[in-house]
Amino acid sequence: MFRRKLLALEYPRPEEFNIEDGMEFRNLVVWLEDQKIRHFKIEERAGLRGINESTWENHLKQYLTELNCPFVYEESMKSSVIDWLLGYAVRLDYGDNVDKFKSITPAVMQQSNGSKALISDNPMDRLDFHDPDFKAGVTSLSMLLKIPPHSDHLVMLKAIGLLIQDRMSSLQNKSSGSTKDEYIPIAQTQLGFETKDYIINEAAKIIRLLHIKELRDLQNNINSAIVNVQAITADPRTDQKLGKVGRG
Amino acid sequence: MRTYQDELKFLEKMTPNCWKIKKGFVDNMKVDGCFYVNDHLEKLMFDELKHSIGNKGMGGFLPGMKQIANVAALPGIVGSSIGLPDCHAGYGFAIGNMAAFDMSDPTAVVSPGGVGFDINCGVRLLRTNLSLKDVLPLKEQLTQCMFDHIPVGVGSKGIIPMNAKNLEEALEMGMDWSLREGYAWAEDKEHCEEYGRMLQADPSKVSSRAKKRGLPQLGTLGAGNHYAEIQVVEDIYDQYAAKKMGIEFKDQVCIMIHSGSRGMGHQVATDALVAMEKAMKRDHIKVNDRQLACAQISSTEGQDYLKGMASAANYAWVNRTSMTFLTRQAIAKMFQTTPDDLDMHVIYDVSHNIAKVEEHFIDGKQKTLLIHRKGSTRAFPPHHPLIPVDYQLTGQPVLIGGTMGTCSYVLTGTEQGMEQTFGTTCHGAGRALSRAKSRRNLDYNNVLTALEDKGISIRVASPKLVMEEAPESYKNVTDVVDTCHAAGISKKCIKLRPIGVIKG
Repeated sequence: MFRRKLLALEYPRPEEFNIEDGMEFRNLVVWLEDQKIRHFKIEERAGLRGINESTWENHLKQYLTELNCPFVYEESMKSSVIDWLLGYAVRLDYGDNVDKFKSITPAVMQQSNGSKALISDNPMDRLDFHDPDFKAGVTSLSMLLKIPPHSDHLVMLKAIGLLIQDRMSSLQNKSSGSTKDEYIPIAQTQLGFETKDYIINEAAKIIRLLHIKELRDLQNNINSAIVNVQAITADPRTDQKLGKVGRG
Repeated sequence: MRTYQDELKFLEKMTPNCWKIKKGFVDNMKVDGCFYVNDHLEKLMFDELKHSIGNKGMGGFLPGMKQIANVAALPGIVGSSIGLPDCHAGYGFAIGNMAAFDMSDPTAVVSPGGVGFDINCGVRLLRTNLSLKDVLPLKEQLTQCMFDHIPVGVGSKGIIPMNAKNLEEALEMGMDWSLREGYAWAEDKEHCEEYGRMLQADPSKVSSRAKKRGLPQLGTLGAGNHYAEIQVVEDIYDQYAAKKMGIEFKDQVCIMIHSGSRGMGHQVATDALVAMEKAMKRDHIKVNDRQLACAQISSTEGQDYLKGMASAANYAWVNRTSMTFLTRQAIAKMFQTTPDDLDMHVIYDVSHNIAKVEEHFIDGKQKTLLIHRKGSTRAFPPHHPLIPVDYQLTGQPVLIGGTMGTCSYVLTGTEQGMEQTFGTTCHGAGRALSRAKSRRNLDYNNVLTALEDKGISIRVASPKLVMEEAPESYKNVTDVVDTCHAAGISKKCIKLRPIGVIKG
């Protein structure tokens, strides 16, 4: 719950801080005083630094009073105390570096994130999708893969992507099973209804087939989910001693 | 008393495979009835009607046609009461009868007789990548090994340790319980009707007596017509659909498991019938046959039954799943490999005794219906949202278990079936001789020898009852399947023949 403040203060391993751990709690208080708050002179910090002493809590109470902390330390108040100390430290940190933080606005942050992507050295990110060379490349790829032409070369590219994903990857990955092509005789496929227009009938059949393919993928996902659960729950047993053949 | 000739006036042949039973055939019919037959099955149906008139209604069951018509007289029924080609006399409803009730009609009913006593009795088919020549030398051992793993017969007990808490969870979760405990593969759930779990299940609506009966029986096959068979592919009629099911070549080995909810489902049905008899008096529900006990869907009795039935259905899925687990172990052990390497996937799992809420179109209007399927199988067409993604193009696989020692079929659902029969088709051969008659007329030694002559290994808990299940006691499953195919309510895909049978 203190991750963001710890992160802002550059506390080591902010994700792992666990307030329930007494030592971690004490260490954080000492770290805040040493690095950020610096309320005491160095020699006055001895009491707080003695984190293994039974008197440590008294030193903490005194420290909090001096800082004008609104909370009095008790076991149940730990998180309020830490939160207040962190907030105080952040405030001090900001006060020390006002000029540096002032120039940061959301817009600037976004820009700096965006500019990072622009200077990526991946050549794929710098492609100009409307370059004539690129279009020519897509066309020759589609001819190679025997994909019917389409006026929009980006649609063609999508089709090429789908085909490669469906066909080529399964060739590589033999374990996926059905690598042999299965042709479905579309002329013999029943549509199940009649539109009185040959072209629309054929188109509807194709949509049916695409739908069935999607259903198959869905069913495969369902099956693999079941198999994953079975890995945890399954424990089939038999006991021959229980068996009894009846009279008929 | 009407004569046979009088009765015929109410029957009309609509197509070469479909007869209509017109209103008036029995009292109070709200809709017409219909039934599907070919020439041979037609003769059986009409003979049955003729005999019952000869008996002057005394003794024995009502003929199938009368039962179909009595169902058409139940409150809230829509469309028509439909008899499938394997239709034969049952408790209240004929076995091989489906009926749809309008959920928006407050008087519409649910009837345990329309589901049957063996709730969610069904068939599951596993494939392997083995061929006939791989298993032929090991056929006897393989059949024995399955017999050792799956306890059969009345009073049999399962080898999966269960306590009362496990059972409660299994009733609520169905196949999800099996998955959690590791008895099933993730893909099994995908290839199961209703994904192996009815969500409206409520184990608190199942009596402790039913639970007591169910507890030790989980993972057992049971007796009667239940069996597990080692089968080989004899014929492939639809290459593409078969391929989708992982059936690639003739002589490929499959395992068929036909079982249900054991004593547990039976008790749930019995409990509900008692409760409903009182509810019928209270709500003034009139039916033609005392066996058609029912309750309004929205009544406490109706809701309690549906929740209890769903729990029993979940039990049946866990049961078939447990036997799948045991079968995989048995066969992998025989071939010293893993079920994975044998590609022992579930092709599909169908229920043929169940009631479900479904959406259907009647005269172009979408309706929410309570569909009763007793001795009949759901057969949804391609692109139906409730069938697995793998079968979206082929239609739902329909598993038709043949009689012991004959053949079995895999069909697929069709659009025509969706329109004509609420997406329903046959479930098996359908009994032609009563159990008692079979015992009188047949000798069990002859039945066993006949199986051996066909090269079928058999392990059976009680050989002396085997004649009840002899092929002679049943209608010809090929007649039944061909009728469904010709009528267009489902389509033939694969034919299987047994090489090993285990049964109760």
